[in-house]
Amino acid sequence: MSRHVLVVGEVQSGHLVGASREAVGVARALGGGSAVGFLGGAASRPAAEEFARLGIGLTLLRDDGALEAAAPAVVARAAKLGAEQAGASVVVLGGTTFGRDLAGRLAAAWDAAAATGVTEVAAVDGGLRVRRPVFGGRATETRRLEGARQVVALRPHAFPLPADAPVAGTVEVLAADGRALPSSGQRTGIDAVAAGAGPSLTDAAIVVSGGRGLKDPQSFRLVEELAAALGAAVGASRAVTDAGWRPSSFQVGQTGRSVSPQLYIAVGISGAIQHLVGMVSSRVIVAINNDASAPIFRVADYGIAGDLFQIVPALTAEVRRVRGLG
Amino acid sequence: MPDFSLTPEQESLRDAARKFARTEMAPHAAECDRAGRFPEEIYRKAFDLGLMNLNVPADFGGSGLGVLDQCLIVEELAYACGGMTTSIIANCLALEPILLGGTAEQKERFLRPFCAQYQLASFCLTEPSGGSDAGGLKTRARRDGEDYVLSGEKCFITNAPHASLYTVFATVDPERQHRGITAFVVPRATAGVLPGKDEEKMGHRASSTSTVRFEDARVPAANRLGAEGEGFSLAMRTLDQTRTPIGALATGIAQAALDHAAGYSLKRQTFGKPIAEHQAIQIKLANMAQAVHAARLLTWHAAWTIDRGGKGTLESSIAKCFASDAALDVADEAIQTFGGYGYMKEYPVEKLLRDAKLTQIYEGANEIQRTVIARELLRQYA
Amino acid sequence: MEIVVCVKPVPEPDTRLRASANGTGLDPEGVKFVLAGYDESAVEQALLLKESLPGSKVHAVSVGPAPRAEEVLRAAIALGCDLATWVEAPAEVGSEPIAAARAIAPALRTIPHALVLCGKQAGDDESGLFSGALGEWLGEPDFGYVIDLRWDAASARFRFQRASEAGLERWECPPPCVIALQQAWNDPRTAKLPAILRSRKAPIARVAAGSPTGDAPRSVAETFELPAPRTGARMIEYATPEEAAQRLVKILREEAKVFP
Repeated sequence: MSRHVLVVGEVQSGHLVGASREAVGVARALGGGSAVGFLGGAASRPAAEEFARLGIGLTLLRDDGALEAAAPAVVARAAKLGAEQAGASVVVLGGTTFGRDLAGRLAAAWDAAAATGVTEVAAVDGGLRVRRPVFGGRATETRRLEGARQVVALRPHAFPLPADAPVAGTVEVLAADGRALPSSGQRTGIDAVAAGAGPSLTDAAIVVSGGRGLKDPQSFRLVEELAAALGAAVGASRAVTDAGWRPSSFQVGQTGRSVSPQLYIAVGISGAIQHLVGMVSSRVIVAINNDASAPIFRVADYGIAGDLFQIVPALTAEVRRVRGLG
Repeated sequence: MPDFSLTPEQESLRDAARKFARTEMAPHAAECDRAGRFPEEIYRKAFDLGLMNLNVPADFGGSGLGVLDQCLIVEELAYACGGMTTSIIANCLALEPILLGGTAEQKERFLRPFCAQYQLASFCLTEPSGGSDAGGLKTRARRDGEDYVLSGEKCFITNAPHASLYTVFATVDPERQHRGITAFVVPRATAGVLPGKDEEKMGHRASSTSTVRFEDARVPAANRLGAEGEGFSLAMRTLDQTRTPIGALATGIAQAALDHAAGYSLKRQTFGKPIAEHQAIQIKLANMAQAVHAARLLTWHAAWTIDRGGKGTLESSIAKCFASDAALDVADEAIQTFGGYGYMKEYPVEKLLRDAKLTQIYEGANEIQRTVIARELLRQYA
Repeated sequence: MEIVVCVKPVPEPDTRLRASANGTGLDPEGVKFVLAGYDESAVEQALLLKESLPGSKVHAVSVGPAPRAEEVLRAAIALGCDLATWVEAPAEVGSEPIAAARAIAPALRTIPHALVLCGKQAGDDESGLFSGALGEWLGEPDFGYVIDLRWDAASARFRFQRASEAGLERWECPPPCVIALQQAWNDPRTAKLPAILRSRKAPIARVAAGSPTGDAPRSVAETFELPAPRTGARMIEYATPEEAAQRLVKILREEAKVFP
């Protein structure tokens, strides 16, 4: 069952953001060849070519400037018009602030059912079925979005980036919607995010922790390099903080912090219960240790037994390669 | 038949106390215990939320709660830290004599300003020469014109180094023994009132305890609670009110010990399986659960009796005695469940044993509780 | 200033999760529903604005069944909200954000306001859909991911920041508008015992929910799954460290879906 799908693209520094490319992948899977792209703002015109490179032939473009740094209410109205013009029954959004903030408004304006943070989506009789994490990732639900129209915003990084599938791309410029939304509000400035500071241990979606298996304080930087590549927070076992390699604020465990990130990578940590208590509710646990019988492998989901001094740098390099960090 | 369910108000109180205990007290319990630190910032927060002065009527700025309501709160606080709870509820003990024995003018003069801002008060009965033998206390109150001059020494007084108000029991005539004992409200600013240095204790280390010396401390007769010679009865009636919440305090410690032990037993594996599957541990946990459950229900029943206007001496003595003995046993078994780890200060259970021990000693040692129980009991057969 | 704050009853954060008997959702048996998370920040922000603008009132509104919707309103009153309205609706409506917004909008249209505040997302479904849908149905602009919300009396507008991937955006908007809050100026306050006791007797207005038309789109819960208990790691076979790294990254992306 294929659907007519509209992808609302988000552009930054002249390029489609990664989340929008993920959305293209989903749109193609749902809509076959009929997916349509939507872009707002003159600065986004070049992104139409990226849509074409990813297999979306038709891009609807609002280039009148009204959508530059526009309030969600304004973008939602334009996106609705775009969906109607495209004859779409599904709109797919990337899982960014832009996408998620748009979803509810668009759903109400377009009279659609909606879901955000979606990790799986499939067409079913009468609508879409979506899967999404709930309760901070401690559970997963599936929902049936019923009715003639659906809006889904994806969970970031839950879908692969689609391979190139170039098609001839056409751009149709959409007429501006003359009715201005009264008092929509406006953006007065933006402060670019500071690079370098990693997320805090308790908030981070990914945590990389190191233990005594790293042998000396200098080697702990292998953990920190992997964390930087992943955009993760850094933790440590009590043995490491007791030895003074890192401050006690890094400690994950019974007498330290409790964390429950989406992904916990334990490097050179044996898995004594005192540490496990602090991280065992993480959604996915990966353990890297040279001792295949270490207790950590009993609670991990995936394990690599081997020399971490070789494996961790290789992992950091692979992560950087895949994320395009160079 | 009594209805064991809590009203929505009681559930709100318990939930509010639980939230405070888990977010404000628990994270600092181990550190305060280790360092013997008096966490004034936590006590100030407790005051701000209305968790101190629970027994003082709302008219005077207290929370105006009955004994069962107090017990619900005290158990939640003690679950997080017995020592902090002792200091938080010490105001109730010190102010109760004013509530029971003060005139309307005294209540207004003392309670309203006291409850208007964060302050601590201490109940001063115990002396070096006797704790259980309160009737034999030696601190002298000599009448001198419109004043009394107090001299003597009290010991093991909770919050004394930090208190701004002391409720002091002294004798106007040692010959009359307990019939000479008289109660006074003594502001700390009074010349000759000398709180001592904080004692180093086995447990309840976040609470502060010291001697208080009275060296010719001059107190106006207007600060005397009730008539001369009524002090002993006032002290006993006070303890009748405050004994039951100590049962709740002990129950909180016991519940914490049970929770730690049960949780650990599900995770810790020996002989190829969680220790919770070993019968030796199951029997321990069963005994602990019985003790905690019984302690709570005895406490609730005593509180309910007092709230309905009963004296509740028998019920509250049973509750305090049973719950404190239970807390000690449950904490002991919790350590045993943890094995070697239970003996390490890194784990939270050894503190629970040290905190439980005091509940058998203070607010009426359990030996005295048993004589009281026997006396009350035998009255029914006389 | 008249401020409305929408609050949702959600399971207490450390609730042990269990699937209901029919497997479609959380088993509500024994679950305590509370005011939590970003909603607490929204209430705090509403109260801070009220305190900074004398004469202001905060009106808390919730949609859902008894007793949870009432309880969360009493929690809001205990914190300092002046008024409370309960839009009575079944649990499925109260918990699904688009349905909740549709149910609550008629009541909000009868409450004059300069601002509708809610949390960025609820602690259970974490959708972040409510504020946008509500804004559309109220005909007011809406903004999510808001931090540092201020009222600028000189220009008679709200000024705030939005946290986005590109950075911290600065915005302004005249009233009325709907704001989904990520963070208030201060940590949320805790209710004091006397206020908690008084809140139990506070009046709460009770209104019927706005109902959808027969063929309105719906989001229907199908399954609710807890992760399977762990049985031990799947060990990754490899010949070289590079191969181990590639295999792990592939698994994390495609199978575990946690890879950024």
